[in-house]
Amino acid sequence: MQEERILIVIPAFNEQNNVLKVIKDVQQDVPGADILVINDCSLDNTSDKARLAEGVKVVDLPYNLGIGGAVQTGFRYARSQGYRTMVQIDADGQHIPREVRKLVQAMRENSSDMVIGSRFLDVRSYRATGPRRVGIALFSCMFRLLLGTKITDGTSGFRIYNRKSIELLAKYYPNDYPEPEAVVLLKKHGLRISEVGVEMRPREYGESSITPIKTPYYMAKVILAILFSCTRARS
Amino acid sequence: MTLALDKIHLLGIVFSLVIIFAVFWLVRQRMIKEKYSLVWFLIGVFVLVMSAFEEPMDHVSSMIGVDYAPSALFAILIACAYLLLLNLSVTISDLKRHNKALTQELGLAMLRLEELEKKQDKAAK
Repeated sequence: MQEERILIVIPAFNEQNNVLKVIKDVQQDVPGADILVINDCSLDNTSDKARLAEGVKVVDLPYNLGIGGAVQTGFRYARSQGYRTMVQIDADGQHIPREVRKLVQAMRENSSDMVIGSRFLDVRSYRATGPRRVGIALFSCMFRLLLGTKITDGTSGFRIYNRKSIELLAKYYPNDYPEPEAVVLLKKHGLRISEVGVEMRPREYGESSITPIKTPYYMAKVILAILFSCTRARS
Repeated sequence: MTLALDKIHLLGIVFSLVIIFAVFWLVRQRMIKEKYSLVWFLIGVFVLVMSAFEEPMDHVSSMIGVDYAPSALFAILIACAYLLLLNLSVTISDLKRHNKALTQELGLAMLRLEELEKKQDKAAK
């Protein structure tokens, strides 16, 4: 059987030190996949760095949309180009391209519409600490109560989507901190979500987008968004 | 009905006339869409009537149980301002959504253009 065309979307904001290595890893570990880098109006040389790689497509957004808007650009591209499978990988080097095959396999085996690469399912390479740990546990609890689904890592942005998910998310995708909200959105539309344990690395350069100061805002925003998505009827 | 002509009422009349004329001018200059000007005209006329005559305001304030008519006027105007601001938030959210879609499509269109130019360059060589 011929392998399906896979689109790997890498949203990048100020990742000049990481993006090229991520691309190279993808090319090596997921041969044959098409790569689309979404440069979310970075202030550094992210775009030029990404263009150093052969055969990579780079979208330069004219102004900073935030992670949600950047990833949705990927969904729109996947939709218009007819991809049946799309993988989302962070440009900061946290996600390991070698693990993509686990996502692909899990989607096939569980016949899910989206598979999340989870840090907390069987692989114990990553330990979130302190408030982050509490936050992730809280989300997990909310998902169980509100959706009746077991999601251990709802904030993970290491995901694979099939055509059905791509078409839905190209239309609606939350703006900032979109990952937990997208879980609710897909569930609400009756799509199937599963998880597979993956390894992740601590980031090599740069800072996480969620600083201690932003944490309370992040929590409040995501909780509110999850509750709202639950009350919203399917559209 | 009697015209009220003490200082505060005169101020109200002048203020509402300024609003009405400002809105009129802004629409004429195409700086506000007619659609959004309507509510401003209504507020302007309301303030004008309420400032120029005492009876309507007295009537309204006794109806909602406020002894001091100007406070009732304030309350009503603040409520109007709230609704207007809410309406603006809706409009802005709408704009933001459209803006985001345009930005995404522009980024993708630029990519397509880039690819086409590359292809053409290759063909020319």
